[in-house]
Amino acid sequence: MDTAIICVGNALIPGDDLGHRVYEFLAGQAIPGGVVVIDGGLKGIDLLPLVEGRKRVVFVDAVAGFGPPGEVVILDRETAASGAGPYDHGAGLPYLLRLLPFVCETPVPECLVVGAEGPAHPSVVRATATASLEVAIHGCS
Amino acid sequence: MANRVICDIPLNRVEGDLEIKVAVEDGRVVDAWSSGTMFRGFERMLVGRAPLDGLVITPRICGICSLTHLTAAAKALDGIAGVAPPPNAGRLRNVALMAETMQSDVRQSVLMHMNGFANVFHSGHDLYDQAVARYASLAGERSLDVVRQTKRIVEIIALIGGQWPHTSFMVPGGVVYAPPVSDILKCRNILSQFRSWYEGTVLGCPTERWLEVDSRQALEAWLAESSRHRESDVGFLIRFGLGAGLGNLGRGYDRFLSYGSLELPEGTTVAGTAGRLVAAGFAEGVTVEAFDQARIAEHVASSWYRDYPGGRHPFDGETEPVPSGDEGGKYSWSKAPRYKGLAAETGPLAERIVAGDPLFRDLIADGGANALVRQLARLTRPTTYFQAMDAWLGELIQRFGEPVYHHPGDLQDGEGIGLCQAARGALGHWVRIKDGRIAHYQIITPTAWNGAPRDSEGLRGPWEEALIGIPVSDPDNPALLGHVVRSFDPCLVCTVHVVGASGRRTL
Repeated sequence: MDTAIICVGNALIPGDDLGHRVYEFLAGQAIPGGVVVIDGGLKGIDLLPLVEGRKRVVFVDAVAGFGPPGEVVILDRETAASGAGPYDHGAGLPYLLRLLPFVCETPVPECLVVGAEGPAHPSVVRATATASLEVAIHGCS
Repeated sequence: MANRVICDIPLNRVEGDLEIKVAVEDGRVVDAWSSGTMFRGFERMLVGRAPLDGLVITPRICGICSLTHLTAAAKALDGIAGVAPPPNAGRLRNVALMAETMQSDVRQSVLMHMNGFANVFHSGHDLYDQAVARYASLAGERSLDVVRQTKRIVEIIALIGGQWPHTSFMVPGGVVYAPPVSDILKCRNILSQFRSWYEGTVLGCPTERWLEVDSRQALEAWLAESSRHRESDVGFLIRFGLGAGLGNLGRGYDRFLSYGSLELPEGTTVAGTAGRLVAAGFAEGVTVEAFDQARIAEHVASSWYRDYPGGRHPFDGETEPVPSGDEGGKYSWSKAPRYKGLAAETGPLAERIVAGDPLFRDLIADGGANALVRQLARLTRPTTYFQAMDAWLGELIQRFGEPVYHHPGDLQDGEGIGLCQAARGALGHWVRIKDGRIAHYQIITPTAWNGAPRDSEGLRGPWEEALIGIPVSDPDNPALLGHVVRSFDPCLVCTVHVVGASGRRTL
C-alpha cells in the first residue's frame, strides 16, 4: 500500500492512548483502497520497515504543547521530530522521524503526525480518526 | 575534613526509571544507591489467570527482549507439563532468541554505550573528534549505520514466530508453527547479510580470526595487525576505552552468574557445555562452580515491599508493595537477588567467564572486571552465535517435516522453572499452577541482579559496588558513572514496571 496510517501509543496510560483508540476506531471502519491502518504500539525506530517503500505515512499519537486539549493538530515531520533525544529503550516516534532521512532505504515518504492532547474521549478519537483518514487520502496541502 | 557531596543523578539515557544517588568525597564516589523508580507488578497481574497467560503477558515486560521472557515462560510450563520440546522446536526457539540478543547487543553498544564517547566530557581525548563523527546522537555515521543494518535481523523472529516484538510462538511442548523451507532459507540469508556487515564494520575481521584472540597479548596483536581491526567498532571501543580509563573503572564484586542458555537439540552438530551453547555456572573471580537455582534468594530490606527477614527463594517470594515508610532504608522498586547470599553480576561478561573463555579470563585476571571488558564481551557476543545459528538453520532444512510440537496434555498442577540468558543476563521465571490457575509467579530479571539495592545485610548491589571510587569531576555531567552503569546494559523497564510513557517521548 502506498499510504499507511500508523497508530502509536500506550493503551494502558490515559493521556497516551489516543493512537490505540484511533486504531480501534478505524479497525471497524471501511478504509479506502490504497490505505492500510497499522497498530504501531510502542515500537519507535522498529517501525522503520513499515515506513519504507511508502509514499505517505500518517502517524497518530498523543501530543503535548501544540494546541488546547482535545483539539486535533497536524504536524509535519520536522516539527514532530524536534523532540527527539538520544537513543534509549524508550526512544519513540520523534527519534524515528528525526532519523528517517538518514536511515530510510527508499525515498522518504511524506510523513505527518495527527494527534491531540489530553484524554482520548470518544469525540476526540472520532475527530482524530477522521482527520487521519483525510490527510492519508489528500495530504496536508 | 573531606568534602562530602550527595548527588542525585538521573541517568535518563540509561532509562527514565533509574536514578543513581552517589556520595562524593574529594572528587570520588564513596557510596552509591541504585533506585528503580517505578513499580512493575507483573507477578501480581498473573496470579489467578490461566496457566498459558504468562506466554502472552510476560513478553510485554520488555519491548527489547520480549522473546527472552517468552522463552522463560515457555520453559517453566514445559517443566510443569513434563514435556521436552522436539529437537526442531529447540532449534527454532534458539535461533529466534539469538537474533533478538544480537540486535540488542549491537544497538546497545553503539547507540547507548559508545554514544557516550561523544560526550563533551571526553573532549580532551585524542579520539574525541572521531568519536563525535562516529557515535554522536542522531548524526554519528556509525550510529546511523547501526540503525539501518540492525532492523532486519529480527525479521528472523517474524519468520519463525509471526511477529516481533511480543510474539507468543513458544508453547509448552514446542512451538506453534513449522516455517517452510523457503522461510528458513530467508532466515539464513538475513543472518548471512547481518554477519557480513558485522564482520566488515563492527568487528573488522572474520569471526574465525576474532575467536583466535585468546589473551590480552593476542588482543594487542590483533589491534596492531590491521587498520581494519583498529577502525572497526570493536577496535575503536578498545582504543577509546583504554584512553578514557574505562579499563580501570567499575570493578564490582568480581562474582559472575550465568543460568546457561540455548539447550543443544538432540542430534545437533553444534558443540556446547553440559548440553547448552551458553554454559551455566557461578564464578568468584575466574573460579567457576556449578549453578544451582535453589541457592537464589531475593531480599527486600531496601525495597518497597512488605518486609521479611533475610532472603526468600522465588518460589517462596512475594510481591506486596509498600510504597512508603522506612524513609532512607527502602529506596528501590527492584528487589535484591542474591546467590548463596552474595551479590553477583550477570550478562555477556559473566557468560564468558563462566564458559572459561581464555581472552576474558585473562582480561580480568589482574584488575578484575571493568566497564571496558563488560562492553567488549557484549559487542563481540555475536561471534559466539553465528556458527551455531547457521548450523541450526541448516539442520532445520535437513530435518524439515520432523515435529515441532509434542502435545503436553492438560497442564497439571505443579511447579516449573524457566531459566535462560537474556541479552542483559540471567532471567528466571518461577511458576506454580494450582487448581488449574497460576497461583504464584516470580520473575527475576538480569537488571534486578545487576542493579539490585542493598540486601538484608546492608551490602550493596553489583553496580552500586562498581561505582565506588569513580572520579566525579562534574556532578552535572557524570560521564564516567554513566559508562560504568551502561556497561551492565541496564533495563529498568523490565526490572521494575510495565509502562514508560514519561521516558518514551513527548511530542
